[in-house]
Amino acid sequence: MLSRRRLTRRQNSRRTKRISKAARERRNGDRYMGLRTSLAIMTAKLLSFACKVAGRQGVTMAGKIAMKIDPDILKTLSSQVKGDIVVTCGTNGKTTTNNLICSAFESEGRKVVCNHTGSNMLMGVAAAFVLAARVSGKLDADNAVIEIDEASAKRVFPYMKPDYMVLTNLFRDQLDRYGEIDITMNLLQEAIAMAPDMKIIVNADDSLSSFLAIDSGHPYVTYGISEQVFRRKDENEIREGQFCKKCGSRLVYDFYHFSQMGVYRCPSCGFRRPDVDFDVCNVNLQGGLSFDVSESKSKIHTEKLPLHHISANYRGFYNIYNILACYAAAKTAGLSMEHFDQMIAAYKPEFGRNELFHIGNSSVLLNLAKNPAGFNQNIASVMEDESPKDIIIVINDNAQDGKDISWLWDVDFDRLQGPSIRSITVSGIRCQDMRLRLKYVGMKTDLIPDVKTAIEKRLADGCGNLYVLVNYTALYNTHKTLGEMQARSEASAGKPAGKKDQGKEAGS
Amino acid sequence: MKITIGHLYPDLLNLYGDRGNIQCLKMRLLWRGIDAEVLRFGIDDPVDFTKLDIVLLGGGSDREQMIVCRRLQNIQKDFKAYVEDGGTTIAVCGGYQLLGHYYNTPDGKMEGLHLVDLYTEQGSPRLISNIVLQNDLYPYPVVGFENHGGRTYLGKDQKAFGKVLFGSGNNGKDGQEGVIYKNVIGTYLHGPLLPKNPHVCDDLLLRAMRRKGYSDDLAPLDDHEEKEANDYIVKRFTGKS
Repeated sequence: MLSRRRLTRRQNSRRTKRISKAARERRNGDRYMGLRTSLAIMTAKLLSFACKVAGRQGVTMAGKIAMKIDPDILKTLSSQVKGDIVVTCGTNGKTTTNNLICSAFESEGRKVVCNHTGSNMLMGVAAAFVLAARVSGKLDADNAVIEIDEASAKRVFPYMKPDYMVLTNLFRDQLDRYGEIDITMNLLQEAIAMAPDMKIIVNADDSLSSFLAIDSGHPYVTYGISEQVFRRKDENEIREGQFCKKCGSRLVYDFYHFSQMGVYRCPSCGFRRPDVDFDVCNVNLQGGLSFDVSESKSKIHTEKLPLHHISANYRGFYNIYNILACYAAAKTAGLSMEHFDQMIAAYKPEFGRNELFHIGNSSVLLNLAKNPAGFNQNIASVMEDESPKDIIIVINDNAQDGKDISWLWDVDFDRLQGPSIRSITVSGIRCQDMRLRLKYVGMKTDLIPDVKTAIEKRLADGCGNLYVLVNYTALYNTHKTLGEMQARSEASAGKPAGKKDQGKEAGS
Repeated sequence: MKITIGHLYPDLLNLYGDRGNIQCLKMRLLWRGIDAEVLRFGIDDPVDFTKLDIVLLGGGSDREQMIVCRRLQNIQKDFKAYVEDGGTTIAVCGGYQLLGHYYNTPDGKMEGLHLVDLYTEQGSPRLISNIVLQNDLYPYPVVGFENHGGRTYLGKDQKAFGKVLFGSGNNGKDGQEGVIYKNVIGTYLHGPLLPKNPHVCDDLLLRAMRRKGYSDDLAPLDDHEEKEANDYIVKRFTGKS
């Protein structure tokens, strides 16, 4: 089906050529359009350059101006992509998953358009294409791998028709911006219906994402983790989608991995976790990640393919899902996978995701968490490290964070207790709320609103193993502060500055 | 003395950190040496209101609220008797709307519990903001966050929970927020409501304890962290302290 579509795309472009040759007026129109496209690209590139010089991130602005000059620019450019277009949607793990998929394509020598920085609304997507295009209006790209904000997909799809959508998971996130999760699901549903030929690569362990994929009537493949990894039982954990999306009955779970991820079925209507095409087993979380992927060749053939072993030098159980989603997407899109393992081994998480800094004799691990599911995963990952540690939690409530910070009470912060926790410091604009959150689970904290001061203080009096957990707008400045501290510390130690190590276990 | 707190349908109504309200009620009892028990009710569980001292009804998505609303009709009579007998109730967001006669949405009319004389109509846009209230019962303002599409209107004899100093309140028009009826507080404020408003929490606790025959005042607690967090919101959004 795919090859037929590709043919159609080529045929389309041939048809356009013929018509434009035949109609003089139309050709003039095209020329005018071409000029407009060029102008849009040029202006956007200049703007982006100027922003870079000024030390600012101008991606969204560049996309905005380009679309203002040429409203069809995303369509013009994305239709020039020679091969498949993959989009990544879902609440958590989008950026990591998408960048991994991009790397998988690149590792096979493909030229890929990708919104690496995570600018994932319409303007950010447009910018990724515009900045990759030539001023002539030509885009030389084999593939596009694009992450899209759940609410923005239906704004992007009129201009760009993806071949594949990777759907990672759906959690509550910034209720004041996105509204309830049902609203997000409706928006995604509308978007999926706009791209009727798109195949969905979906996380089977999430009942909400799976429901969307199955309900859409689109072809889909699934990935998941069918073995139970954690024995912990916590009945108070906030979980989405406890009730069947199809009939409203309570779902029955064999087990949970975290949040609502797990193996589920509906006792009333028969809705259940779909069969898993790419299934993980033999999970080992000690000192990095190690697991095997088994693949059912097709639903008809039951023969088992050999297990594919994957090990990665970064941690956090959730990263298994990110790598697995990438594996499933790459396989489904027909990559040879020859360089997949090297790619995973060499992959550097983007900044603020398990990023390690060395300052003096201390190691500092910076990790972003934006919503309860993400925060719970980060806490689990912190607690996997059994050595003594200090913790700083930075909470802001700027528009991009969500002005409503009531989600702090949906995070299981009480799991941050134990003999290895030396101190907890709360910082950022809403440090007061964070302090209260911990007070009500009986945890003592030190309140230092200014992030830099907080880090300096804990570096001075802490145990040398510091974790900094931040939400979105706190990330940039905290990252910058830590980077500067590391550079200064290396300079005074006579080491070359700017070298940094990512993704490794702190304290190792 | 032991205070039993009933959390209605936390599986469905758990948006906006309702867990924090439960935690706050519980801890402020325990810190004073009063026993506290929290009962979580699933949607199919029977609820014996005669065993409860405080009932919490939280907020959920419209869809989840619809599921709850259908089941709630089964317990309406017992819930009504509890309220009329002076049972303490705190209802937030969706739970607040359910206290009234109905919630009218474009998708249909949700039948309420008819516990308090109020009704809600869906409006646009959603009212999303930090919010600060004044209630002369309390020594300092009530702060929180509101996020609701519904516009709630109180019956003419009903008393509001507070006067809006910042934010929208019940309907964005009359400057009122929430409702207090007997020992029921209904409000759009989450954040969650109680941790940053220990005076409201203690008010609820005292109402529940008085019903059980307790006549003293509550022992004071060290609330400087709560007050500072409250004060920060008041200052930031009203410029006053």
